[in-house]
Amino acid sequence: MTGSLGTTSAPPIIELREITKRFPGVLANDRISVTVRAGEIHALVGENGAGKTTLMSILYGLYQPDGGQVLWRGRPVGIRSSSAALELGIGMVHQHFMLIPPFTVLENVILGAEPVRAGVVALAQARARVARLAELHGFDLELDARVGRLSVGEQQRVEILKALYRGAQLLILDEPTAVLVPQEIRELFRNLRRLRDQGRTLVFISHKLDEVMEIADRITVLRQGRVIDTVETSSATPSMLAEMMVGRPVLLQVPRPPALPGAGRLDVRGLSVEGERGRPRIHDVSFNVRAGEVYAIAGVQGNGQAELVEAIVGLRRAATGRVLLDGRDVIPLSVAERRAAGLAHIPEDRHRRGLVLAMSTRENLILGHHRRRAFSHGLLRDERAVDRFAAERCREYDVRVPRLGTPALALSGGNQQRLVIAREFAFTPGLLIAAQPTRGLDVGATEFVYRRLLEIKAQGLAVLLVSVDLDEVLALADRIAVLYNGRIAREFRRGEADAATLGLYMTGGGPPTGQAAP
Amino acid sequence: MRSRGRLLLLQAAAPIVAVFAGGVIASAIILAIHENPLSVFGLMATFNMQAGSVASILTSATPLIFAGVATAIGFQVNVFNIGIEGQYYIGAFAASLAAFGLRGFPAPIHLVLIITAAMLGGLLWVWLPAFLRRRRGAHEVITTIMMNYIAFNVVLYLLGLVRDRNLGSTVRIRTPLFPPSAQMPHLAPLLNALGAPIPGYSPLNWFLVIALALAIVVWFWLRRSRFGYEARATALNPLAAEAAGIVVGRVQFVMFLVSGAVAGCVGLSDLLGRAGYFDIDFPKGLGFLGISVALLARNDPLGVIPAALLFGYLNRGAEGIQAFTNVPREVITILEALIIMAIVVAYEIMTRYVRVLRKQEVA
Amino acid sequence: MPLLASAIRLTVPILLAALGGVFSERGGVVNIALEGMMITGTFFGALGAYQHGPLAGALYATLGGAGLALIHAVVTVTFGVDQIIAGVALNLLAAGVTRFLTIQIFGVATQSPGVSGFVPFNIPGLDRVQALAPLVTGISPLVPVTLLLVLLGQWVLRRTAFGLRLRAVGENPRASETLGINVYRMRYTGVLLSGALAGLAGAYLVLEQAHSYLEGMTQGLGFIALAAVIFGNWWPAGALGAAVLFGFFEAVSLRVVASTIPYQVIQSLPYVVTILVLAGFVRRATPPAADGIPYRRGGEE
Repeated sequence: MTGSLGTTSAPPIIELREITKRFPGVLANDRISVTVRAGEIHALVGENGAGKTTLMSILYGLYQPDGGQVLWRGRPVGIRSSSAALELGIGMVHQHFMLIPPFTVLENVILGAEPVRAGVVALAQARARVARLAELHGFDLELDARVGRLSVGEQQRVEILKALYRGAQLLILDEPTAVLVPQEIRELFRNLRRLRDQGRTLVFISHKLDEVMEIADRITVLRQGRVIDTVETSSATPSMLAEMMVGRPVLLQVPRPPALPGAGRLDVRGLSVEGERGRPRIHDVSFNVRAGEVYAIAGVQGNGQAELVEAIVGLRRAATGRVLLDGRDVIPLSVAERRAAGLAHIPEDRHRRGLVLAMSTRENLILGHHRRRAFSHGLLRDERAVDRFAAERCREYDVRVPRLGTPALALSGGNQQRLVIAREFAFTPGLLIAAQPTRGLDVGATEFVYRRLLEIKAQGLAVLLVSVDLDEVLALADRIAVLYNGRIAREFRRGEADAATLGLYMTGGGPPTGQAAP
Repeated sequence: MRSRGRLLLLQAAAPIVAVFAGGVIASAIILAIHENPLSVFGLMATFNMQAGSVASILTSATPLIFAGVATAIGFQVNVFNIGIEGQYYIGAFAASLAAFGLRGFPAPIHLVLIITAAMLGGLLWVWLPAFLRRRRGAHEVITTIMMNYIAFNVVLYLLGLVRDRNLGSTVRIRTPLFPPSAQMPHLAPLLNALGAPIPGYSPLNWFLVIALALAIVVWFWLRRSRFGYEARATALNPLAAEAAGIVVGRVQFVMFLVSGAVAGCVGLSDLLGRAGYFDIDFPKGLGFLGISVALLARNDPLGVIPAALLFGYLNRGAEGIQAFTNVPREVITILEALIIMAIVVAYEIMTRYVRVLRKQEVA
Repeated sequence: MPLLASAIRLTVPILLAALGGVFSERGGVVNIALEGMMITGTFFGALGAYQHGPLAGALYATLGGAGLALIHAVVTVTFGVDQIIAGVALNLLAAGVTRFLTIQIFGVATQSPGVSGFVPFNIPGLDRVQALAPLVTGISPLVPVTLLLVLLGQWVLRRTAFGLRLRAVGENPRASETLGINVYRMRYTGVLLSGALAGLAGAYLVLEQAHSYLEGMTQGLGFIALAAVIFGNWWPAGALGAAVLFGFFEAVSLRVVASTIPYQVIQSLPYVVTILVLAGFVRRATPPAADGIPYRRGGEE
């Protein structure tokens, strides 16, 4: 269902009709219909996993839809590859730039579409063309500079120029602001408006409502693979969009014991962390987590959560700031030392970080505990002790395995997560960091995780929950901090905020408050 | 669960398929020179059944087990030690120095000292690539290859310094002969006493037993020790290992060094069980064969034993073919290389298939 | 002068194979089978020259090297097998196949009958100067050909669309694919070129140095070529400098019998230098970013 079309509407440049795309076990796009008019900036918003990127990958020929139709200027087309998309006039600026760092700007722009004279790249001709194009769109770029040396904002301009050089009429920008600093965002928006005014069409994928409100002419909201609505920006408000994005029936209610906050366990002070290529990802973040409470970091994915968690557990260096565990600064400590000091961690991606899939269940259960005296027998491992431990853990945490020797990869997702939890809850840690602990789990498994988290909280553990799932945050947290662009946008006590309010802060809306002091 | 059964089957089938595929292509080559592949392979089988052949197979498998285990130890944790070749050359030379240089020790002590020298030689040669990988990020594949050639040159030079002057003006350049205390006792007497018809001239010696023991010990060490556990976790999922507090780089460094120390022993069976001196014709290429053996064994130390035996079998069979047919023995060298090609392709396809399965299971 | 002349002669095979290595690795495929491809080249060079003269020798060698390279490409590019492992296996295969064919065709395992090389030429005018004689007389035509190939290679990589795309594929295959570049085809081309050039390097050894095929005549030159690729920072012009340096080392090592420095020390220098470069002690080694990483088409892992 597309939104109401104004009478002054331009003809559609592209129409997506009933697009359906399935991945194993996931319906990423469920009969999605979107119409993009020529010459507009059309924003596609939605939470993580709402299906935005899948949809645009279909449009750019990277995926083939399982059902539905794409109409380009009214004509049905099949887009089999990205070159086919380019030929039609569809260009894409990927979130992770598709650039060749040691090449110059000029070389990057013309690569794959080089003007050639007798087998040789006609550089002079190419330079003239690219320079003209850059000037036309007001892109300030040194054509002979190596792309690897440019700032991220400049690299993005090279990406846009690449698409324009290939004659893109429709330009898809996948979360273009995610990697930019505010000044760069302002510059990007200037450039985008100019492109629109020159007649190009832009599709802007984002989950940042403040930006969308600023730049888009129309906005389509996706949620769980479906179109919720397409609205004119002039008739939309951030809170209404936020509700459309996150508003869903609460799936799960678990009886929650009251918080009995005790002593401070984790104290993060002025922490700043850099991400890939030295980009600052976490800016001067401070918060504390007390024994007997669940402290949640809410936020849309990619706002620095991963870097924050990695810095706390010791997998990433902190640029500045301190992380105190029970009053002791753990920044100089290794991962193993932090674990020994009582830190447990349910990693965001259990397959990548949480489990050694090819190892047996019992060996996975001692991962990280394997140096403990309890499992040692001289230089060797005490296999009986490991067996006892594994059997006891599996029983207590209901990890269903035929044998303890069954490799972790043969377990269901829910059982794998039970395994990780059984392991991390062992040996009574002081602080548990749970990052996206229910991602990809069914309702039953999710409920299990919730119960267990609340149980150990009641036992006096401090729990730091990092989640993109608002229901989860609301169901579990005693205090909630919203992380946006690497900063804590606001901290709420339980009951202070509902999903819509949190959604607003998560997407950059809400009154501009400083960081709430705990 | 059913897919898991299929997986195990595949895993077991891959080497068999690879050997078979190599055999088919080798057969085509034999046909191309107008010979009958069935009779060639048949002859190889009967020839290899003779007692002398069995002893020869075991003898040539001995250094391959060392080399295979050394390679597997590195490959296990994604350290591509292509320098086994140079490490065993240095190891063998160091062992020679200990063999003729140290006198007056009873044989058991002398042999232990020699083996220690060999391991130290290998360790010396592996240390630089290992260090440069850990501290400077220099890729070990290229550095170890370069170290191989440096090793040959160094050994050649040093050999000139310590060569046996008593040989006078002959062109043979070799170390002085080793004393009897530096000879590894042969197995033939014992095996004969046990009723195995091993010919008395066979150089098959106790290093076979040491090699088998080493493969088993390394296997056990990887399975049952704390460090072995960390090594396996590092190999199978370095990211998860890191999150569990295992310092991946350090584990790889240690395994790299161990690989080199084991590599130092590759040439000992030939040196102390057969030659009794070190000369410029000391066998080369065992390191690269060791890589093949480890690949065939999928880097499993226990799997190295049958893989090395297969290569020993093929090598002995090649002699039989050479002697009794019109087919050159090089057909077998080609067969060995083809098996390796086939096995890596088979494993690659299998790994991909596993990934697909995994994705389905996640879903 | 004789030293310089000998250095040039020793440079050529290293340079040809290194040039091949540059093309392969620029496309993102590590080729440690240069040695094997060179060995194949020596045999086929002798075969061609024996049957139809030196030109056929060079041609056969080129095709022979490319044939082995084709296996490398199929296994590493199409099947995505680890490039190092494939290279090790190929080196074993090359040794076996060459010996086998030598026996089949020449009757003995280790050498071919003598073959004649190209007709050497003198540089007119300069050949009168006695002092320059070793340098300007009796030059193999393959020397200027090699130099030309290197310059051509440098120009192709820098200035042509093919070169730009090949380098792009070696740096970021995924990005290249989104721009409509066929990654597989580029990588196949790079690997095949490397085989052809390494094969030609083998032919040079047969035709212009030994005048017959001898088993083991490459003596690890393929690995020195690999070192020259790295020391030359993955550029033909750089490989030229590296190969000249390494060729000079070789030439010196053959002549220092009487001097105090053992020749083995000088022979080890290329390897030592390469290790120092890799460790970043000489200057930063910057290989193509995707060098050695198998690529799966269309986003499959």
